[in-house]
Amino acid sequence: MAEHGDAQAALIPFLQYCQEQDGYVTQQAVSDAAALTGITDGEVESIVSFYSLLFQHPVGKHIIHACRTLSCMLGGADRLHEHIRRRLGVRNGETSADGEFTYQEVECLAACDKAPCLQHNLQFHYNVTPEEFDRLLETWRAQPAGAALPAE
Amino acid sequence: MATFEPVLTKGVGQLDLTDVAAYRKNGGFVALEKALKDMTPESIIAEVTASNLRGRGGAGFPTGKKWGFLPKDGRPRYLVCNCDEAEPGTFKDHMLLEQTPLQLIEGLILSAYAINAAHIVVYIRGEFLEGYRIFMRALSAAREAGYVGDNLLGSGYSADILVHRGAGAYICGEETAMLESIEGKRGEPRLKPPFPANAGLFGMPTVVNNVETLCCIPHILTRGAAWFASIGPPKSPGPKIISVSGQVQKPGNYEIPMGLPAGELLQDYAGGLLPGRTLKAIQPGGGSSAAIFAEDLHTGIDYDSLAAKQTMLGSGGFVVMDDTTCMVRASMTLVRFFEYESCGQCTPCREGGQWVHRILRRLEAGEGSDADLLVLNTINDTLTGTNLCPLGDSIMPFLLSVLRRFPQEFAEHVTLAGCPFDPARRMVAA
Amino acid sequence: MSADRPAASRRMVNVVIDGSALSVPEGTLVVEAAKLAGTSVPVYCYHPKMDPVGLCRICLVEIEKTPKLQIACATRVTEGMVVHTSSERVAQARNGVLEFLLLNHPLDCPICDKGGECDLQDFTMSYGPGLSRLTEPKLHKPKRVDLGPTIVLDEERCILCRRCTRFDDEIAQERNLVVIDRGHRSLIGTSDGGPYRSYFSGNTTEICPVGALTSKAYRFRARPWDLTHADSVCAQCSVGCNFRIDSRFGRIMRTFTRENLEIDDGWICDRGRYTFNYLYEPTRLRRPLMRRGDDLAECSLDDAAALCAEKLGPAARAGRVGVIGGGRLSDEEAFALQAFARQVLGTNNIDYRVHLQKFASPARFGARLIDIDDASLVLMFGAYTPEQAPILDLRLRRAVARHHTQLMYIGPYRPHLPVEAQYVEYTPGAIADLMMQLADTVHQGRTESGDGFVADIARRLAQAEKIIAVHNGRDPASVSALDRLLETLAGYNHRVGVLVVGSQGNARGAEAAGCVPNLGPGYAPCSGEAGMTTGEMLKAAADGALDALFIAGANPALTFADGALARRALENVPFLAVAEQVLTETAALADIVFPTASFAEKRGHVTNLEGRRQAFGQAVEPPVDVLSDAEIIALVARAMGHAESVSPQPAALLAGLVRAESAAERSVGDLLPRAKVDAVQPAAVEKVDATHRTFTIIPVPHLYSGGGAVAHDPGTAPMRPRPYAIVNPEDAARVGVVPGERLTLSGSGGSIDVEARVGPQAPVGVALVLADMPEAPANKLLDASGFGTATISKAASVPEQRSLERVSA
Ligand SMILES: Cc1cc2nc3c(=O)[nH]c(=O)nc-3n(C[C@H](O)[C@H](O)[C@H](O)COP(=O)(O)O)c2cc1C
Ligand code: SF4
Ligand code: FES
Repeated sequence: MAEHGDAQAALIPFLQYCQEQDGYVTQQAVSDAAALTGITDGEVESIVSFYSLLFQHPVGKHIIHACRTLSCMLGGADRLHEHIRRRLGVRNGETSADGEFTYQEVECLAACDKAPCLQHNLQFHYNVTPEEFDRLLETWRAQPAGAALPAE
Repeated sequence: MATFEPVLTKGVGQLDLTDVAAYRKNGGFVALEKALKDMTPESIIAEVTASNLRGRGGAGFPTGKKWGFLPKDGRPRYLVCNCDEAEPGTFKDHMLLEQTPLQLIEGLILSAYAINAAHIVVYIRGEFLEGYRIFMRALSAAREAGYVGDNLLGSGYSADILVHRGAGAYICGEETAMLESIEGKRGEPRLKPPFPANAGLFGMPTVVNNVETLCCIPHILTRGAAWFASIGPPKSPGPKIISVSGQVQKPGNYEIPMGLPAGELLQDYAGGLLPGRTLKAIQPGGGSSAAIFAEDLHTGIDYDSLAAKQTMLGSGGFVVMDDTTCMVRASMTLVRFFEYESCGQCTPCREGGQWVHRILRRLEAGEGSDADLLVLNTINDTLTGTNLCPLGDSIMPFLLSVLRRFPQEFAEHVTLAGCPFDPARRMVAA
Repeated sequence: MSADRPAASRRMVNVVIDGSALSVPEGTLVVEAAKLAGTSVPVYCYHPKMDPVGLCRICLVEIEKTPKLQIACATRVTEGMVVHTSSERVAQARNGVLEFLLLNHPLDCPICDKGGECDLQDFTMSYGPGLSRLTEPKLHKPKRVDLGPTIVLDEERCILCRRCTRFDDEIAQERNLVVIDRGHRSLIGTSDGGPYRSYFSGNTTEICPVGALTSKAYRFRARPWDLTHADSVCAQCSVGCNFRIDSRFGRIMRTFTRENLEIDDGWICDRGRYTFNYLYEPTRLRRPLMRRGDDLAECSLDDAAALCAEKLGPAARAGRVGVIGGGRLSDEEAFALQAFARQVLGTNNIDYRVHLQKFASPARFGARLIDIDDASLVLMFGAYTPEQAPILDLRLRRAVARHHTQLMYIGPYRPHLPVEAQYVEYTPGAIADLMMQLADTVHQGRTESGDGFVADIARRLAQAEKIIAVHNGRDPASVSALDRLLETLAGYNHRVGVLVVGSQGNARGAEAAGCVPNLGPGYAPCSGEAGMTTGEMLKAAADGALDALFIAGANPALTFADGALARRALENVPFLAVAEQVLTETAALADIVFPTASFAEKRGHVTNLEGRRQAFGQAVEPPVDVLSDAEIIALVARAMGHAESVSPQPAALLAGLVRAESAAERSVGDLLPRAKVDAVQPAAVEKVDATHRTFTIIPVPHLYSGGGAVAHDPGTAPMRPRPYAIVNPEDAARVGVVPGERLTLSGSGGSIDVEARVGPQAPVGVALVLADMPEAPANKLLDASGFGTATISKAASVPEQRSLERVSA
């Protein structure tokens, strides 16, 4: 942390680390982050709420980010998204009933040449067709439990 | 097909350029060794200025000039690398980061040396987890090989690189928002002045440069400013990576000489349109740019030629749309992007973006009215040019360009009470 | 960090605004220059007290030679600038911004508190669009968000100008009110949706340009245009913030800031703002009361005055009478009170001091509040400004946060301060020594060489260009030691100054008016022998040596340090008359209680801690039988046959006071004579005894403590703390104190029950006990030094639950 010039510069890395441990930014993490950086809990929450990759509430073990911006839309994202929503039984932004999968349609993931694309726990999957998604779903289901959105 | 010897992407796809030895074999680190031995920071800035390199992040600001703005007051300086690539349709930095991270590192060290920066921060988009990992591995390899760290190559110059991962916000690509984000705050653009050159990261003089811009630096120093300036139009020269996507045969990143006509890129590099389709619109410079059309295919892909067409080179995201694409839907998708990514500080951007999005969604769902069209046609005057940062000014250009070009398509969404491109809806309307 | 209100330099530049040429300091914001030019540019996010942020974009103006419209709130003028604030383009942009703001704004103006003083409503009228295009269905956000004890937030009305969050950050330095989420989903909120607790919260309702933030105390009560305004001065503490009292049909509806840059900078605290509804509670005294056995029964004013005369006359003739009070009266009334003592009762037994404060003014080096703004170092001891002088504290916070002022706090326990401060722990009584050592070290030029914390502080003092000391005038020894230190520093060309925080709102006025035993009005030595101090009077009364006490606007039963003595005195004295607004602990023991008018119900002057005398006007009429203190004093004087000695008229009284003051005029540089003080034995500090669970008791102040108005006000009730005692975690572990449990603290004067808290701010062996709480008077545990000892045990019974603190979701 000391490598960041100012105490608050350690805030986002710290929150990313906490989220990696707990799956989301817990209230405890908020207080710890506030204590670490010398800002208030409210300020920490304000910052957390600004960033779409920081979660203020519990999410599934598997986080699916499906790109919905223009190039992916041109590549058939709409059909894919409908399929995913139906498969998981969720609406955009929701977590599946079993609590395993959180589905979020997101903005351009910078992989537009391989549309439609999505990320599963920040791992890219390219040119995803509905059939390909079903296949992926099986492999994810079989995966051992791990933290969502791993950092390093 | 026209041949252009790739510069920035040389070896990409053939060699493992994350490996120091392979990168060296590909011509890497020659510039760094040369510069640290023989060049003063001033001469590097002079060379970069002479090359006419313009920033590849979108604004196209001359890089040498930007470096020259730093006040000479002895305060520590920062070099920040903008690797937050999130402009719709743009994926070149993503590729450079993952495929040739050592080239970026070399560019960073050279640039930091040139501006005498004490600290280098690379801001990597949060979604680029794989890219971040690759970069970190390359960084430690470069550090081990003595290209990063203390007393580089015995020159007495020291530089280390700090990596900050983004946390999900397009606006953090805007340079002052990025600085806020690195400082651990909400990524909200700052009021300017002061500009980063005077009061940037932690209030210190700061230069923010795009990944591709920085990747150009080693080549300018090895091959010389004159070589660089000779590629393409003099005021807008150099090799440029264009991210081509959308309805083409071979989407992908293509390195072209600046000034290449749009049609050649489409045809010769990207393999042309899908069979049986005709061209409808191209967004030549990312989601923020206005569209060009079939008659504009002779336009050169460079800053000035595209500006003359009331659009821009921007980030170089080249999105091709053919006759099967609904312009209302395409616009809606982009406006939704800006609405979602607006930080919300400025009223016009925050409220206007949301309003335009709702109108387009209504039109697309067949619930639009003539009043909606009137708003779309007039809102630009109060929505654009009234905000603190350029995000708000990016909401309207594409929409306006296609609205002017295809007014009947928008009107039809009202008269048909549905989208003419959606067969199901057309039947309902009929 | 940007400088405070930066830029405006002395150099003047020429600008043209809407055709009128003027010359303004270079760097002036265009919006301010426009004001000088007589035009007003509409603003939402801009507030003159805060850094420009340029968010709302309503202030766009046209500047020649600049292609894009520029925001007037953040653009600074340069030589030759030509500005148009109402061109066609500007009108269009404004219209556009208003249209955007109104898109999702509810059209509930008819029921909105802000209706009539809303900037959105006003600007829409002046510059706004017709309603034609605003057919867009509104997006909905939470309405009626309970933001805690004082405020309700309507997110739909919010235009996200962020004045409120910036106030909480830049001005209050508390940073609890924040923006949550981003884009048009942004909301104003707090951590985890918890309450927004701040002593300054009410200010956000004023600066909110729309009706998004409203005061619970004022919601739906009146429309701005129905209100009658009266300029007043807050008398809740010694800062003397200026404010306005808004009333309707003779009843106070709300209070509002009345900017005085040199005093309040345009802010008031919530205690000052919200303490007025007690006037309309049943507990407010409206009729005189006379003792009948154990009870107090209503009587007529004449009967009350007659009884007073009957009892005070003989007591006065016997020289066995005393008068206590003045610190809560106006200057005029304090003058009347001492005149009553000296001329009617013929005694110098008069004293306003019923807290630990001995002096309300510095003997020399008097400072102004604005001296804090550019102080290099503020040295605080005794006083605790966050709780005792909130608006002074705001100034201090800003100085520390914005001007690199160093704050050094010397005290027996670690204070909770929102800005950075150096804390120096001292044991009670040692501070005078510390000041002397500092004076010596500075005097002998040993600031560079020495080590240890004394040398360290001395070094900081030596490096500080301007030093302001803030204390509470409580310890005469440290006060004179401080004078020596400052004199030494002044000798080395440091600028120095002193502010004494009063224990009562008009302590300084009472002192100056002569409500002390040895000094008359204007600090002139009184004729005859010095009278008794409050402590001496109470002692005499307790010992049967006084026959009567007259108390006006003071509650020694709760606030006098030695509470046991005070209660004994008030119970034993044969005749006790008290003038009060509510039935305080002291009034409850009286033989006669006169109901008195509040500050809103009379006019006069008060003197703040700087010595600045300020006029306050009358906002509303008091109830029929309720008189001002001056009228009560005059009434009793008349009943005693001394009608000529005391006038009930503020004007006549003030004239008398001013006459006396000019007669006592001293030459510049003279030390102000000092009020007589009790000889106080040093605090009996005993070490904690684990087996006997004995602790040193240090009372701690709280903004909302006290037994008077604030204890009876429904508006401030949710903010009032419950009595508590804080002990160090080490002690808690040793003697088995669990946070939240009920404790009984037993001391020399009785015992009190409080809630247990555990925290590191309490030194080992010390229990920090909330002072001045009627439910649990800490002064039962204290002696005259202001400290005491008590044993701690678990409380036997559970008291009734006070659930006012809880905030409904
Ligand atoms: C809303 C917004 C988003 C931006 N996103 C990016 C981005 O993702 N990558 C980038 O390099 N520049 C981005 N920019 C441009 C940067 O602000 C800045 O101009 C650039 O990083 C400067 O580097 P250059 O001079 O090397 O181009 C963005 C600008 C705006 C206004
Ligand atoms: S609540 Fe009021 S002051 Fe706060 S941001 Fe909203 S409109 Fe502005
Ligand atoms: S008042 Fe200028 S932008 Fe808000």
